[in-house]
Amino acid sequence: MKQIRNIWQNFDFWLFSAVLILSILGIALIRSSIAGNLELVDHPQRQTTFLAISLVVLFVVAAVDYKYWMTLIQPMYLVTMVFLLFVFTAEARFGAVRWLEVGQILIQPAELAKIVIILTLANFFANRDNRILKFSTILRSAVLVGGLLIWIFLQPNLSTTIVLLVIWAAFLWITGIRIRYILIAIGLVLFVLVIGALTGFSFLEDYQKLRITNFLFPDPDARYGETYNVDQALITIGTGGLFGQGYNQSTQVQLRFLKVRHTDFIFSVLAAEFGFVGTVLVLLLLVVVIVRCFRIAQNASDTFGALIAYGFGVLIFFQSIVNIGVNMNVLPVTGLTLPFVSYGGSSLLSLMLGIGLVESVAMRSEKRTE
Amino acid sequence: MKMPFHGRYLSIVIICAILGGAIVVQMVRINYTIYAQQLIAKSEDYQGIEKVIYPSRGNIYDRSGHILATNQVGYELGIDLKFVADPESIAFSVASIIDDMDYVNVYELANTEKRDVENRYFVLSSYVSKEKIDELARLKENYAERRQEQKSSKPSLSGLVWYPMQQRTYPEGTLAANILGFYNYFSRETAQGVYGIEESYNRLLTGKPESVFMPNDPYLVEALPDTQPGASLVLTIDRDIQSMIEKTLADAIEWSDAEGGTIIVADPKTGEILGMASTPYFNPNEYWKYEETFPGITPYNRAIGTTYEPGSVFKVITMAAGLDSGVVEPSSTYNDASGVYWVANSWPIYNWDGGAWGEQDMTGCMQHSLNVCLAHIAIDLLHEDLFYQYVQAFGFGKSTGIDLASEANYPLRLPTSNQWVEIDLATNSFGQGIAVTPIQMVTAISAVANDGLMMTPHVVRSVIDRGQQYDVTPQVINSPISAETARTLTQMLTVALEEEASDALVEGYSIAGKTGTGEIPTEFGYTSELTNTSFVGWGPSDDPQFLVYVWLEKPSISKWGSVVAAPVFRDVVEQLVVLMRIPPDNIRLGTANE
Repeated sequence: MKQIRNIWQNFDFWLFSAVLILSILGIALIRSSIAGNLELVDHPQRQTTFLAISLVVLFVVAAVDYKYWMTLIQPMYLVTMVFLLFVFTAEARFGAVRWLEVGQILIQPAELAKIVIILTLANFFANRDNRILKFSTILRSAVLVGGLLIWIFLQPNLSTTIVLLVIWAAFLWITGIRIRYILIAIGLVLFVLVIGALTGFSFLEDYQKLRITNFLFPDPDARYGETYNVDQALITIGTGGLFGQGYNQSTQVQLRFLKVRHTDFIFSVLAAEFGFVGTVLVLLLLVVVIVRCFRIAQNASDTFGALIAYGFGVLIFFQSIVNIGVNMNVLPVTGLTLPFVSYGGSSLLSLMLGIGLVESVAMRSEKRTE
Repeated sequence: MKMPFHGRYLSIVIICAILGGAIVVQMVRINYTIYAQQLIAKSEDYQGIEKVIYPSRGNIYDRSGHILATNQVGYELGIDLKFVADPESIAFSVASIIDDMDYVNVYELANTEKRDVENRYFVLSSYVSKEKIDELARLKENYAERRQEQKSSKPSLSGLVWYPMQQRTYPEGTLAANILGFYNYFSRETAQGVYGIEESYNRLLTGKPESVFMPNDPYLVEALPDTQPGASLVLTIDRDIQSMIEKTLADAIEWSDAEGGTIIVADPKTGEILGMASTPYFNPNEYWKYEETFPGITPYNRAIGTTYEPGSVFKVITMAAGLDSGVVEPSSTYNDASGVYWVANSWPIYNWDGGAWGEQDMTGCMQHSLNVCLAHIAIDLLHEDLFYQYVQAFGFGKSTGIDLASEANYPLRLPTSNQWVEIDLATNSFGQGIAVTPIQMVTAISAVANDGLMMTPHVVRSVIDRGQQYDVTPQVINSPISAETARTLTQMLTVALEEEASDALVEGYSIAGKTGTGEIPTEFGYTSELTNTSFVGWGPSDDPQFLVYVWLEKPSISKWGSVVAAPVFRDVVEQLVVLMRIPPDNIRLGTANE
């Protein structure tokens, strides 16, 4: 009994509170961003249900010692791969197959893959403390990542592919990859890009190419064209001002000029209805989440735990920065959601599962992370 | 601490901090710089739409209130691909209800792949009557009910859409088409009146379009303002007179086998045009067939848009000038000994029949239409300065200013011009070598019928705007001759007609008038046998209430105005006095024997 109370003493309430506030704020924003669309009308309720399930998952995962997961990593890896393969049999939505239908619920296995990759890589590098600088280690980790990555890339789901690559890169960096290998890697990436350019980026889907060209060379005359969504997002943010137009009051949102409001562009909804102050508040909450993850990583009792917390911190940071960057038209449109805030059951569930893992690490660290 | 490389960990944190800071910077930039202003300005584009509300176009009435032009509602029928669910039903219903719609064509349009086309809206028919639309609407509802019963997605007419639009309509068809012009309503926002009244009074008829901002935010929507309809016009045209002269003209053209013609009936006292018939004409309700009737540069209204050499009717002007300036009196004589008049000893002028008519007074000169006599008056008595002074005073060489679009005008060749030669003075005196429009001729001669006052010809009698009627005041252009000259000349021409026993005479009414046979110049000179025959007459002579002008172009039964145009004039006047309720002279003047 005493021990249980002890480990709950180390539960990171800062992290948990920030995540909870973000999720609840997200539901509120989803409710506003529906803007009377009948097809989306049940979304706030669904998201609430998912949040409830996710919180349960969070606590269960937090209660379980994360070290037990080490033994489960191989089966999880395989199951995820099977899921990803299954997705190909599913019907295409919005031009790409990403969902797996289980009963009434659509699951995006790609979201799950993010966690599994973090766990896998954390396990992999934690077990290779001494051989970490070898080039073969890098290659092996590449194979591990590639085993899942390839299926996601083929869906096609470029954004998740990039997220996984970033996580991998972050792991390589933190575990001490040599600078010259980094140089080699950069050279390789450039080589691939040049090859891609020469072949006209034939491996990219048309819409992916369009997004990139529209980002790099926007067409000033396109009112309803390809830059529409981004333009609308910018306008929406611009109309927000300091305090915003008020909840449920943004004309850009409520009149539905802004599209994909409840997922990709929910940050714009936030900026329009709650203004600069509102966005800064959410940014601060995200900062709290990321900082807490990193601190937990610093204070973790072993390398495995540290790498898990670190990996999640990077994941949340990267998704946030890319999503907000897209909203502000400093990055091409990707389809990455804003962690905890955007609508999406799979995304929320996997993120909360991740937070549960991080909490588990925190609870079992050597000292309290205050 | 189990993190392998603390330094690298720190670098990650620094990168995060820098990028996080960049977000805040960009946020500030979007919200608080010039960029923000641009974005807000851009967002205003999405706040609503600026819509221009066009008032309904004013009606056009004849002088007693019969509608000549008005509006009716029709519908544009189109396909909005965004909502099309069942192309077969759309194609079937459209093809079966709307005339000249083809199943296959409609089906192909309705079945266009949505992604392939930029524009998702196609117009099927620009104008469909209300009845047909009602039929389609009923069908659409039926289908909707059937769908509910069967819980299926077909049959469905969704995607088949219609929008009301105003159509200009002319209930009298071709009547007065050349005066009215037409309104090209298919052009929508850019539609405007073309030719005639519709063009010259386009702004009044259109009214004042009002620009309204229609917000997309339902909380900000306001009621549409009431737009004032465009002003309505009451014409000087009398529907019955117009109809009568149109029919008479058509008969005359058929009888005389002429290429075309014009009849104008005017009130010389006010300049009001009571009727104006011209060929060719068409039905403005089908204005898109314009090219069929008016190929190339055919003038829309010959009465104001065509110049021609009038011939002897112009002698009225020369004689008026002679009398008014005092160089001749009615009793002055001219001895036509040889039937030829030599201009500057080089160019001979002959009479119409080439004969010599001996000693004639001025009435005789007009009655027999002696070219030599008129050339003598112009050259020997008036001289060029005075002659052209009078010709200009009568308004030749200038537009009359009639309130119809596309009036033509041919500039006068004056002695000050280096193209002028002395023979011009001689030929001008009897209406050759000078080009005029029928309306110029009518306007000029109306001065003789109206005590020397030349009135501006006009077709609009009053404007009705916002419940107020504004009458058009008759305007004097000029008074080229004295009232006395006018009466004297009218009297002379009355006598001349009677003594000639002209075909133009109308029993019971004293009429003044003059025939004209204008030779038509070809590229080799006046070599053609074809002529422009005309007649201008006015009456009753003691108090002229009407002036009728007849022009028949290139008749083939005879080249003479006295044979072709004079009887047509008589036909018109015989009916005109009835329509205008002008009693015969003896009753009107109280001189009838009991």
